[in-house]
Amino acid sequence: MWERLDLDRVVEYATDPYGGIREWKAKAGKKVIGSTLADVPEEVISAFGLLPVTLLGTHKPLKKAPSLLPDNACSLARSNLELALTYERDLFDGFVLPQVCDTTQHMCDIWRINFKDAYVESILLPRQVDRQSARYWVREEIERLMASLAGWSGLSMKDADLQESIIAHNENKRLLKELYDIKRENPGTLTNKQLFSLIKLSMQVDKREMNETLKAVRNSLRVCKGEGYTPIILTGITCDPPELFDLFDEIKLNIVADTLVTGSRYLEGIVDEGKDPLDALTERHFKRGFYSPIHDDVFRNARDLASLYQSSGARAMVYVHIEFCESEEYDLPDLKSAMKKEGIPFHTLVTEYQTLSFSQARTRLQAFFESLKRQAP
Amino acid sequence: MSEKPRSKDLSRAITKAYMDEAYHAHEAGKLVGYTTAISPVELFVAHDIIPVYPENHAVANLTAKMGTELSTATESMGYSTHLCAYARSDLGFRRTGKSVTGGIPEPDLLMACNSQCFTLTKWFQVLSRRGGNVPIFIFDTPEWIRNEKARQEIIGYTVMQLKEMIAWLEGVTKRKFDYDRLREVVRLSAEASILYKKFLDMAHYKPSPISIFDALINMAITVYRRGTQECVDFYQTLCNEIMEEKVSKGIGILQNEKYRLYWENLPVWFKFRDHANLLGSFGGVILTSLYVHAWSLDFDLAKEPLVTLAENYLNRFSNSTIEDRADMAIDLFRAYDMNGMIMFMNRSCKAVSFAVPSLKEILTRRTGIPALVFESDMGDPRFYSETQVRTRVEAYFETLDRLGR
Repeated sequence: MWERLDLDRVVEYATDPYGGIREWKAKAGKKVIGSTLADVPEEVISAFGLLPVTLLGTHKPLKKAPSLLPDNACSLARSNLELALTYERDLFDGFVLPQVCDTTQHMCDIWRINFKDAYVESILLPRQVDRQSARYWVREEIERLMASLAGWSGLSMKDADLQESIIAHNENKRLLKELYDIKRENPGTLTNKQLFSLIKLSMQVDKREMNETLKAVRNSLRVCKGEGYTPIILTGITCDPPELFDLFDEIKLNIVADTLVTGSRYLEGIVDEGKDPLDALTERHFKRGFYSPIHDDVFRNARDLASLYQSSGARAMVYVHIEFCESEEYDLPDLKSAMKKEGIPFHTLVTEYQTLSFSQARTRLQAFFESLKRQAP
Repeated sequence: MSEKPRSKDLSRAITKAYMDEAYHAHEAGKLVGYTTAISPVELFVAHDIIPVYPENHAVANLTAKMGTELSTATESMGYSTHLCAYARSDLGFRRTGKSVTGGIPEPDLLMACNSQCFTLTKWFQVLSRRGGNVPIFIFDTPEWIRNEKARQEIIGYTVMQLKEMIAWLEGVTKRKFDYDRLREVVRLSAEASILYKKFLDMAHYKPSPISIFDALINMAITVYRRGTQECVDFYQTLCNEIMEEKVSKGIGILQNEKYRLYWENLPVWFKFRDHANLLGSFGGVILTSLYVHAWSLDFDLAKEPLVTLAENYLNRFSNSTIEDRADMAIDLFRAYDMNGMIMFMNRSCKAVSFAVPSLKEILTRRTGIPALVFESDMGDPRFYSETQVRTRVEAYFETLDRLGR
């Protein structure tokens, strides 16, 4: 069902994939496991013959979540909870939920209490990555997840299953990177929305089938350089709702690099196929780019972004900030001032699931880039 | 003949000596280490690092009603009003220099333990950056999930980090860590913790000789001086005083004590006394909360110090599942025979407050006691509505009266 999608269908499904996943589940007869951001080893879930689906919120109204999580909680967390509680409850057989901050820690508990009939497992990711203990702990947690999934599903997973799953996931990421490379150099070929929809949908549907779509898209692309684009870097955790990409496309911004968990940070998760799978999955955790809740090197984000800005040839940076993400809120003022010191034009776009005002976002974004054009040499 | 020192005098003297020591640490060849209130500070004490708690300093400023002024200064630096009031007050102090206590010394190193909350980790990272990369150690404590096998693995990971922390301390101070000293510090911490819990448990008497406000005032010493003999002496003196002067004479906070209340969350620091008076006027006295019990540590001295430290800093209420938090609260309801509960949704403290809606459901179901829920901020009066709180309190006690509790 996901093998031969044209780009319009990709964009459509990426906005709301759940009806499609439900249909696919009925045909494939597989169980569906939802996960929130970030860094759940989806290869492991897939190796058990289960479908891992990254939950990326809903833009439908909140009904039940507000009574469980107050309105100063991260809007993605509330939105995901609503998605699972109200709109897609019957779709998911279980959940694997990572804990990286106070909100996600509570989310695991709230989820377990409210989904008594479903499988709910947490994955306790380390909130430090620079010490040996973090490596030990990531490996322990992957092993615990494997044991937990085996216990719940009654299925066993062979090394070959995991290897095959890794290969399929890697291929998915390589194909996406290839498309990203084409778009970076030739922004007239693919819109920002199309590219990021391909990535988003890849995080939610069967990888083997999706890979066929990616190959078909790649083979059918008519490469077009395009004119008048401003190269930018997109940074933050996730960029939602998808209509934000329409805004970028509308004012001819070309995202040439990003650090999104739902973007390049996901694509960086290619696992070394030449190593023992468990070792390689562990190692992968430490190769990925900066993610505010887990990185303890206090200057890394600024350093990485400045270097990405230089290497990518971008002219500005857009920081997509999810309202009430406490982790980002502590980082942001210092990051802004570090970018200012580097002379990097920096625009903060505050997003909130359910209540974002597009007209305001459009006006601010347009004003920022118009002033950038005026400053151009 | 000299009189026995009063606990109040001891507390004052300990605090003064402690702050003097912190301010003159460098003259004595010692370093100042910032740490979080729930953290294995025993390692600092054993290594002659003077622990300083920005949270305690924030509490002093927030209680002195400086929250809005300091928060506004922090917001002018680009920080959001959504952040913890402790952090906002601390960053505001660093910008303005304003403090009711005269401030705290700058850190030579920082240790953030996320058993208490994740916000402290991020706040301390800001302080590390501000100081130009002050050495920082994140002591990561995964949630104490209800899975015995996983708990053993979590302890293994945490002990490994304590060893890394010791190596880090040795690196920063260029001094060898003394494990024998640590054993002694943990022993003293254990002794003080037992006495501190004994003090909190005085609330089981009827009428209760203490309220949560006594607990909040007197917990300061165990927060910043545990692991020392003076801390043990303080709680021994405090317990003796309460036994002799109140319990033995049947004196309570309220002689007409009608409602023995549980409080969920940290207090509204700037309304501390007002709340005691308001509730008292209805015959209500708040006896306890999970928060004040966070320092009722239960070290097992038969175990390796690093293991018992790991276990204790992992299983705090703030790092426990909502189900375990509910069990802990139910134990307190039983032990203190409480008949009311106030659930404070504290905008500032996500780590505690995001559990409150679920906790309220569980506790009201299991105890049959209705709950009063109100939303505000522990330190920022801009988010406090006097009328709303007063109306809810009145309505709550009317409900309890009607139910004949």
